[in-house]
Order: sequence, then C-alpha cells, then structure tokens
Amino acid sequence: MRLSPTAAQELAAQYVLGTLRGRARRRFESLVRDDRALAAEVARWEHALTPLAERVPAVEPPKRVWSQIEARTAPRSAPAARTGFWRGFGLIAAGLASVLLAFFVFISSGPRSEPVFVAVLADTAPRMVVSMHQPDILRVRVVKPWGAMKADQSLELWAMPKQGAPRSLGLVTNAMGDTMIKVAENDPRVRDVSALAVSMEPMGGSPTGQPTGAVVCHGMLAPVKRT
Amino acid sequence: MTLEAAQARLAGLIAKSALGDRAAFAELYRATSSKLFAVSLRIVRERPLAEEALQDSFVNIWNHASDYAQAKSAPTTWMTAIVRNRSLDIVRRTREEPDIDDTLAANLVDPRAAPPREAEARAEAHSIQHCLEELDAEQRQTIALAFFHGLTHSELADHLRRPLGTVKTHIRRGLLKLKDCLMRAGATERG
Repeated sequence: MRLSPTAAQELAAQYVLGTLRGRARRRFESLVRDDRALAAEVARWEHALTPLAERVPAVEPPKRVWSQIEARTAPRSAPAARTGFWRGFGLIAAGLASVLLAFFVFISSGPRSEPVFVAVLADTAPRMVVSMHQPDILRVRVVKPWGAMKADQSLELWAMPKQGAPRSLGLVTNAMGDTMIKVAENDPRVRDVSALAVSMEPMGGSPTGQPTGAVVCHGMLAPVKRT
Repeated sequence: MTLEAAQARLAGLIAKSALGDRAAFAELYRATSSKLFAVSLRIVRERPLAEEALQDSFVNIWNHASDYAQAKSAPTTWMTAIVRNRSLDIVRRTREEPDIDDTLAANLVDPRAAPPREAEARAEAHSIQHCLEELDAEQRQTIALAFFHGLTHSELADHLRRPLGTVKTHIRRGLLKLKDCLMRAGATERG
C-alpha cells in the first residue's frame, strides 16, 4: 500500500501522539518498517514531542519490576545442575505429568528450553501454566485471564508446601502472556512444595504475607519426565 | 550535568548494554526508570499494568540496544518512545473510566505548573513548549490529553464534551500548526 505524502505525514504525527490506535496503528507500524521516509517522519515527531514527557513527575517503580527484568534478560543457556533442587517438589503420578506436558506443549509456542516441571492452575478451566525453564526462573503463562478484575486488586502466586503456611512467590498479571519470576536456586519458599495457588489480594499484594482473599485457581506440581 | 553530558552518559550505557554489560544496563534502569514509569502510569493508569509496560520495555531495550545507534535520536527519546508504544498497546486491552490530570494538560505552557525538571531537559522541551503556546487553547488541551494520557479520539470527545469531528479537527489542525512552528524553530532538524 502507498500513502500520499500528506496522509503519511499526518499518520506519523498521530502515531507518535498516540491517537492512531488499534489495527490502524499495527498497519502503520508495518508500513514504517519498509519505508525510510516514513520512519524519518516518525523520528522527527518523536524528537519534537517526547521531551514533553519530562514534565510528568517521576514515580519510583516497585523493586520487583527490576527483579523481573533481570530474570527475563538473564543469559539463555544455563547449564547449572537443576535436577537436585527440583527433586524437592513432590512426585506426582507420571501419567498426570505426561498429560500436563502434552497440554503445555500444546499451548506453548516453542519453549526455549525443556521445562523441569509444570503446573496447570485452574478453576473451572485452566487459567495459568507455571513452568520452570532454568534453575532460577519460574514462567507464569496466563492462558485464560479473568474478565473482570477491580483496578485496586492484584493476583498473588503462592507456593503451597506439604506442611505449613503458603509462601508468596510474587504478583502475576491478569492478562494473556508470560510473567517471569526469579526464584533463587536454594530459595526456602519452594522447598517441599506440592502445589501452587493464586489468590485475589489488595493492590500490591497481601498486606499480611499470607493469602487474605479468595483462591481463584490452583494446581499440583508435576515434574516433567526426562527421556 | 549538561544536556549533552547526561545524554552521552545514557548513550554510553545503552552501547555497553548492547555488548551484554549487565551492570551498565542496571545503571541505565536506575537513571531512567522512575521517569519512564510515570509516563506509562499516566497512560495505563493502573500500577500493575505500568509495571508490566516498564518490564516489557526494558526487556525490549536490552534486546534491541544494538539497534539504538541507528535510531540517531537522544537516548531518552528512544526509550520514552518504546515505553509509550508498549503502554498504548497494553491500554487497549483494559480501558476503564479515564482518571485524567487536567491540570497538567491545561497548564502545559505555564512553567510554574511543571515540577522541577532536570536542567538538561529544558533545552529540548523549549521548542515544543514554545510551539504549543502558538496553538489555541482547545487545540493545545486536546493534544496534551492525547499525549499524556493516551486517550483515543472518542475518549477525548467524551472527556471534553465535544463532538468527535471537532476533536479530530483540533488534533489535525493542532498538529499541522505545531509542525509549521517546529520547522521554523528548526526543531525538526535532527540535533
């Protein structure tokens, strides 16, 4: 598709301003990739408008944002021994594990490395698939978000040990896609854990360190059988 | 620190990040995350969504740090554009009743309304600031609301209680006037 120069310039301005939205925005982005003049126009508007963003008073993001960025940008190849640690997770019937693995492979668009274990967290339907891909990264993949959730609430993921109280693993989002949570290799929170659960908490997570709201989904851990 | 020195420092950190220097990447995050988080928060309005946008954006910055050299723009411009784009993507999933900061939009040209800014931002902000003053009040307000809060045309119409067509015209004419002014000011030339 070719745009007239005037139309292209106007779209570039509206793209940077943010008023070009939805499918039109996607289409414009794909045009920009192949059109240097258009890309230059976008760059000019970005150069002109973005300094305005300096006027917004700074807001400190919570520490967990950086932990998750670190986890997601960690080097991909992690050859460290990982089986020992995860042996601590209770062994579940191998049949169940293979069913879960099949499900995992089905929903996943090509995992980068084989998971060590998977857990499917469900209420009436599967909601999230939690998997361990590297010695210290837990991937939480939301496959079916909840339709309505109040703005002042957060979803919190809990490790459920065989005995004792749940241990918080962090917040997860109510949106399709992946969240990575860094869990240290010797993290006591995941020792002897047999299941995972997600509860509805006030924004920012449980104020008490224990679940305070309803458990909205849960599932058993299943080690992935290695062949 | 002067504008050039501050931007040069950030550009250096991006270049090191491109080579896999995690310490430089951490420093880049420390230097820029609170401003970028604030920018995202205005658009997505919910902290968990802004956290998600910031997280995705920095993963993007890490993965594409080597492309930065080709962007030929100031580091803050490049990073802000990434965060704004991600925030606009995210906000389309979950838009509720907008909670708008009208003061920021209305006082866009009143320097007293701005929080104390880093000196280095002033020079760049100057030309756009000056050009916004040339717009009429309604055009300016409409453009400011769109920029800071990521409002769509119809959200702008609701918020300003104006017909959709009027809002679209304000945006279109306002942007044209801005462009004229910026060209005259030489601000659209790459500096």
